[in-house]
Amino acid sequence: MAISRLFIANRGEIALRVLRAAQGLNLETVIGVSDADRDSMAARLADRRLMLGPGPAAKSYLDARLVVQAAKASGCDALHPGYGFLSERAELAQLCDDHGIVFVGPQAATIAAVGDKLRARELAAAAGVPLVPGSGEIASAGDARRMADQIGYPVLLKAAAGGGGRGMVIVNGPDEIEAGFHKASAEALAAFNDGTLFMERFVPEARHVEVQLMGDGAGKVIHFGERDCSVQRRYQKVIEEAPCVAMPADLRTQLHASAVGLAASVNYRNAGTAEFLYDVLRGEFYFIEVNARIQVEHPVTEMVTGADLVQQQLRIAGGEGLSLTQDQVTLTGHAIECRINAEDPARDFAPSPGTITRWQPPEGEGIRLDTHISEGASIPPFYDSMIGKLIVHAATRDAAILRLTGALDAFEVEGVPTTIPLHRAILREERFRANAIHTRWLEQDMFAAERPAAE
Amino acid sequence: MKAPEPIADLELLIEDFKRSGLRELHGRYGALEIYLSQDANAPGLDGLRQQVSAAPAAVAASAAPAPGGHASAPAAPAAAAERAWPAGATVVRAPYLGTFYRAPKPGAAPYVELGASVAADSELCLVEVMKLFTAVRAGAAGTIAEVLATDGELVQGGQPLFVIMPG
Repeated sequence: MAISRLFIANRGEIALRVLRAAQGLNLETVIGVSDADRDSMAARLADRRLMLGPGPAAKSYLDARLVVQAAKASGCDALHPGYGFLSERAELAQLCDDHGIVFVGPQAATIAAVGDKLRARELAAAAGVPLVPGSGEIASAGDARRMADQIGYPVLLKAAAGGGGRGMVIVNGPDEIEAGFHKASAEALAAFNDGTLFMERFVPEARHVEVQLMGDGAGKVIHFGERDCSVQRRYQKVIEEAPCVAMPADLRTQLHASAVGLAASVNYRNAGTAEFLYDVLRGEFYFIEVNARIQVEHPVTEMVTGADLVQQQLRIAGGEGLSLTQDQVTLTGHAIECRINAEDPARDFAPSPGTITRWQPPEGEGIRLDTHISEGASIPPFYDSMIGKLIVHAATRDAAILRLTGALDAFEVEGVPTTIPLHRAILREERFRANAIHTRWLEQDMFAAERPAAE
Repeated sequence: MKAPEPIADLELLIEDFKRSGLRELHGRYGALEIYLSQDANAPGLDGLRQQVSAAPAAVAASAAPAPGGHASAPAAPAAAAERAWPAGATVVRAPYLGTFYRAPKPGAAPYVELGASVAADSELCLVEVMKLFTAVRAGAAGTIAEVLATDGELVQGGQPLFVIMPG
């Protein structure tokens, strides 16, 4: 391979995941960590550890110049950004290019293009990918009203620069459109420093389906099937599965072709995910966005395909191109992942930093745990609350649910509250077991049913 | 992976380190372990091994100050919590452990300055923990008489942040 020393520009479980993939390919590893992570598992296992700065991410993990400087100072010839933090900032990819460091991801120009949702929609439209009926830029409340009349209520106002649900407002009818426009615009401005909005038809019963892609940067793109991430809370994924068995096979084939076509049209390089909304009632899928990075939920794809996606990323970055052909990617069985967060489900998911005093994870056939936690590990207050991902693989969805139930029951964590009880409750739900859910099911139906009517 | 050449690498490493502006570097090449720091008072390798990473205290269930503290947090909260407040004062406290921000976003003007008049529902600051931001309100009308935490500082649950005096 044309790379020999990798800088890991991330923390937590993904830093460890990247580290192990790199070690598997005999790459040297250097990690940049904040003061809060100086004793983290990835910091201890890396060949070298650099202190980037204090705990707050703005002064450590989010400082692109500092990160690239650290990579350069430690003689790294490649940099893996993980997910979150700087992973989708075109600036980081560009700085790497400028300093002769291989960025393990797409080109800076691709990141910039797909990071702008309006640009991404245009690219998708040009590639013949179905889009949910929607608008271009919405400049005023009057614009919003005219567009909504055309598209038909309910509509969704979204931030062009957005993500994570911020700057996103559902408008149910004409009487809400003006207030909705101002709310979304103000939220978008506050969150992204850019108040630009667009509008889409709101799909009441949608599943979130996404296709894992890998491109060589020269027009060749393969897919690794799709994932279903329809169990969500506040637009954050809670449980992810592969494949999406709720979708008919012919539609899944069309979905894959759309995603591959879109990525190939921009000569996509390295790993990416095309996200779609599957309208259950209409039986149609629509493009949402492209995420230009490895995703949190990539392990479910790895479990059903047997591929090591992070090693694939490193091989592409090392100039080896795609090491698989589409025919070599086959799907076996069903995988489910649940995100374990240090949050208290009994106290409206209050984030719960602290120290893990007991950590007894489940083990067994078809069980995988991606985590940076061990007994005594501290969970700093500065970063997101995810402390691990529990993934199971079995022959069928039903068998996977059974296996996951057993694994969650055996998982013992003390020191901080976690979302393990939430996952156990979800797996007991009839609607989840029957796979008859949609992206708002968890909050709208399951949580609502748990609360007294007075609330 | 190329075989490490520790000694030659070492000199380059020290040069790179000096130029990089990094504060600390800790690395291992097989049997060789190295620790570089720009800080003359740095603990050194032995100190590093002995350093117990003081973990942040869990979020307190109520507004009471959380026990313990974080390694990088100032030692102030416990002492400040003991202090006597002037008669009629409203003490605005952190809802939970987190980072204290005086402005709604980086570079923006602070929500309030010392001496500012506030209403009971005025937002005074943000406290952020694990990407969850909570706006903290005054709770009483009056004037900001004291600002007890610094922007960007880690505060404990229940730690006093502002003192509001009536009028």
